[in-house]
Amino acid sequence: MSASVAVARPGQVTGSGKRRIRPGRLAGRTGFFTLLAIFVVASLFPFYWIVITSLKTTAEYNQGTTSLLPPSHITFSNYIDDFTQQDFIRPLLNSVGVSLATTLLTVVVAALAGYALSRTSIRGKSGILGFILLAAFFPALAIVGPMFIAYKHTGLLNTLPGLIICYLILTLPLATWLLTNYFSQIPKELEEAAIVDGSTRVQALRKVIVPVAMPAIFTVAILSFILAWNDFTFAVSFITTANNYTAPLAIYNLGQSQFQVFYNLIDAAVVIISLPIALLVIFAQKRIISGLTAGSFR
Amino acid sequence: MNVWPRGTKIRSVAVIAAGGLLVAGVAACGSSPSSSASSQVAASAKQTIVFASAGLGTEGTATKAAIASFEKLHPNIKVSLLSLSSNSTVAQEQEEHYFLAGSSTPDVLYTDVTWPSTFARSGWIANLNSLKPDTSAFFSGQMATGDYSGGVYAIPWFINAEGIYYNTSLIKTPPTTEAQLVSDAQHALATDKSLKEGLAFEGAEYEGAVTAWQSFGANISVSALSNINNSANQSALTFMYDAIHTYKISPAAVTGWEEANVQAAWLAGQTPFALNWPYIFQLSESTTNGKPTYPAVYGKTAWIPFPSSTPQTSLGGDDLAINAKSTHKAAAWEFIQYLTSSSAQDARAISAGDPPSLTAAYNATLYKAAPYYKDETAVYKAVTSRPVTPVYPQISSSVFQPMISSVLSGQETPSAALSSNAPTVSQLLATAK
Amino acid sequence: MTARDETLASLGPTARAARGPRRSGLARQDRRLGYTLVAPVVIVLLAITAYPLFYNLWNSFHHINYLDIANFGTFAGVSNYAKLFTSDQFVPALVRTIGFTAVSVLVETTIGLGIALALNRPFRGRGIVRAAVFIPWAVPTVVSAELWKTMFDPQSGFVNYILAHLHLPLATTTWLDSTWTAWAAILVADAWRNTPFMAIVLLAGLQVIPQDIYEAAKIDGASAWQTFRRLTLPLLMPALMVALIFRTLSSFLIFDVVYIMTGGGPGTSTQVLSVLNYQAFLDDLDFGYGGAIAVALVIMALIIATLYVRALRPQQET
Repeated sequence: MSASVAVARPGQVTGSGKRRIRPGRLAGRTGFFTLLAIFVVASLFPFYWIVITSLKTTAEYNQGTTSLLPPSHITFSNYIDDFTQQDFIRPLLNSVGVSLATTLLTVVVAALAGYALSRTSIRGKSGILGFILLAAFFPALAIVGPMFIAYKHTGLLNTLPGLIICYLILTLPLATWLLTNYFSQIPKELEEAAIVDGSTRVQALRKVIVPVAMPAIFTVAILSFILAWNDFTFAVSFITTANNYTAPLAIYNLGQSQFQVFYNLIDAAVVIISLPIALLVIFAQKRIISGLTAGSFR
Repeated sequence: MNVWPRGTKIRSVAVIAAGGLLVAGVAACGSSPSSSASSQVAASAKQTIVFASAGLGTEGTATKAAIASFEKLHPNIKVSLLSLSSNSTVAQEQEEHYFLAGSSTPDVLYTDVTWPSTFARSGWIANLNSLKPDTSAFFSGQMATGDYSGGVYAIPWFINAEGIYYNTSLIKTPPTTEAQLVSDAQHALATDKSLKEGLAFEGAEYEGAVTAWQSFGANISVSALSNINNSANQSALTFMYDAIHTYKISPAAVTGWEEANVQAAWLAGQTPFALNWPYIFQLSESTTNGKPTYPAVYGKTAWIPFPSSTPQTSLGGDDLAINAKSTHKAAAWEFIQYLTSSSAQDARAISAGDPPSLTAAYNATLYKAAPYYKDETAVYKAVTSRPVTPVYPQISSSVFQPMISSVLSGQETPSAALSSNAPTVSQLLATAK
Repeated sequence: MTARDETLASLGPTARAARGPRRSGLARQDRRLGYTLVAPVVIVLLAITAYPLFYNLWNSFHHINYLDIANFGTFAGVSNYAKLFTSDQFVPALVRTIGFTAVSVLVETTIGLGIALALNRPFRGRGIVRAAVFIPWAVPTVVSAELWKTMFDPQSGFVNYILAHLHLPLATTTWLDSTWTAWAAILVADAWRNTPFMAIVLLAGLQVIPQDIYEAAKIDGASAWQTFRRLTLPLLMPALMVALIFRTLSSFLIFDVVYIMTGGGPGTSTQVLSVLNYQAFLDDLDFGYGGAIAVALVIMALIIATLYVRALRPQQET
């Protein structure tokens, strides 16, 4: 093992020559791309289904499925309906706000805890991690009842901050466990070098560990955002006026009356709310690529 | 990384547990059913009451219109709408949260017809006897759903009943016996290749399958619950099974179908017979921009109880109740009386398609705006409610629903299923005493 | 020390000198900092979970049944817990849940690992593929469950349609109508939604591994399989462990997909523990029994997590 570490960026093509592609290699390549194609189709096909359903009129939706192709009469009326008649903008904004706040809080709190649990010598790590896990796996069903009572008495019922607090129970355990594990992979030498250069521990965390672990932090941020964004159980229990609805609540309610379910309306709403997530993933996954080199070895 | 260093685990867990124990005392509050005496606000005072009901869709719009009219008549009372889910199971959960928290709001709440006795037993809704409700003004089958232990705990808001729709262009004369319905359906399927089903009904594992079973003739009145293995139940279950597997007039897919699926099949004209609720009539006769929305069934819709020597149709619909802990009972009662007045009932029937529970509301005004209500009365006359007992939800979800589902998928025969489940039902019924 | 530390062992004398004298003072400072940093997460989670945990614990030892007013509030000893074993619902539901969890975790981990490994390599269009593979997670569970229920409907769904067109078997099944096909449908719906989670966690775990390790291995002449088994897998183990624990426990507590697609049917053949818990609370109004089920679920979750950590610990030994 060499003492001077030239760390290649993950994904950088290594130097071995590619002059001659062996048959086995070609088969491997084809197999690789076929597999990838299968993944993509399997992931996206149901979404394609959602999209074409959202372009159908209600009458056409009731005809049932006769083909995989988009309907001959594409209509955007469902999308227009969702925004004008059903006032979908409000729930969307509520969801964005709540999810962003939850993500921010989660990343900060979990990063601090992850650092402590992986790189300091506190006692009781296993107990703390075990407790965090316990919090994660208490059935949501058993939480909403007592939390409702607690929120009613503290005035947090039907408020978005109340939701944010509850979402932390969804996001913090996973975020803390993940960051604890990712941080533990980073060599101690990195921050020790920084400390020797005069930083405090917390400064070292901010300037050295976090940039190096940026792929992990972005992953945790994406996961937390999506967890908060998608929640239905807590929202349906704690939010009681339409003004405070979050997107999943609104979706669930907008296409329904007691017996009727208007999937074309619902699917249009699903497309609308999936777009921010899709954009988020596309934007953030560029950051995930950054790898270990950012600001580490000099 | 070693996540679990030895020796420190027990101590730290104990510390954390001790911290949590401090909160233990709080755990007791909020779960007792006893209600505290509280001062009631007079009806004439300025006040706001909270009404819990579905707030979206056409029904939500109709509710908001009714609230606006009520507030004009009673300027001192404001009604604030607590928006519940339009899914009744979710709405029940939401209401129960408030009850378990001992909350005095909502003051007025809607209930499905199967909830009042359960809520009453738990002490969550108020006994209305002292308010002297006019019990004869409503369909008696639905009025009875608010009974518990000699008291009236809920007032009918709107009625629903489940009958057989038939397409008059495919079925010239309505069948009068079960066998005739089967042969009509088979004949239609044989002659018209565009039809996909002969009879569409709800067979998924949910409450709708129980109402379907009752509409097909099951006898599940409270007195019959002590032995569900009776001939009426057997023949209704057998019919549901045979429709799929023997007569082949219903596709196996119905074992996953709920009202929305039956609705889709009917409105697209794919089936000559469909079992469903009154909202289908309104949809079938609806027009968009002057043209029929569903041309396959427009003007060709008829609705009858399932043919049998003693026809019955399963009762659905919603009631209204008052929170036992409410401090605005007088104003709440005014609101309920408004919602169940003839004009409000007619308005809702016309705009949201909810059939009135008040018999007097079936009048010229209603028929002029929505003539199809005349054709619905036959189905309402045969209405039969599911058993009015506090343990009905339990019986339905732990016995009836799985039982029907397992029979339809061929896991059990009807008589075996009924006899094996009969003891459980009697047991559950005994706990209601 | 992990394999990683060994690989990038000594950096230089300055780093080592930092671990010098005044160790006990530094150690105390270090610990104090640690406790301060870990306090927020503990306080937040404690504040949220303490009340529900003890609410359910307390309920589980008392008769809190709204349909049984006579005994309401009286001490029940362990009778609610005994009911778990005497009723004929809990144990079968437990068996079903364990079976489903094992299968779904296996399937989702395998596929997720495959996706992560594939996306870890460079190729054109990788960004788009990444985004495409993660989109299922953007759909709320409730919606995706309803969606898949429709997909498997023989009349209005596409599964049978595609199977028929490809002349594959099972094209005429009513999926939700018989036990094993219902489980298959639930598994597909669950896997579609949750495999991206495994992929995203494992991909990040792979990204933290520096490429120079692979360079060194290639120089030493290791095959692809050897590289995977001896290098990648051990280094991926911490991320894999977290992913496995969370995915296993989520599967164990699965509710929405089952409730919406089958309601526990046909009959009770897909009734999982969470559905049972739901019925205890909502239909039976028995919060004592429901509380006991909830507590039992938590205990089982802890057992599962401990088993995982024990099983995967040897790779992490110092």
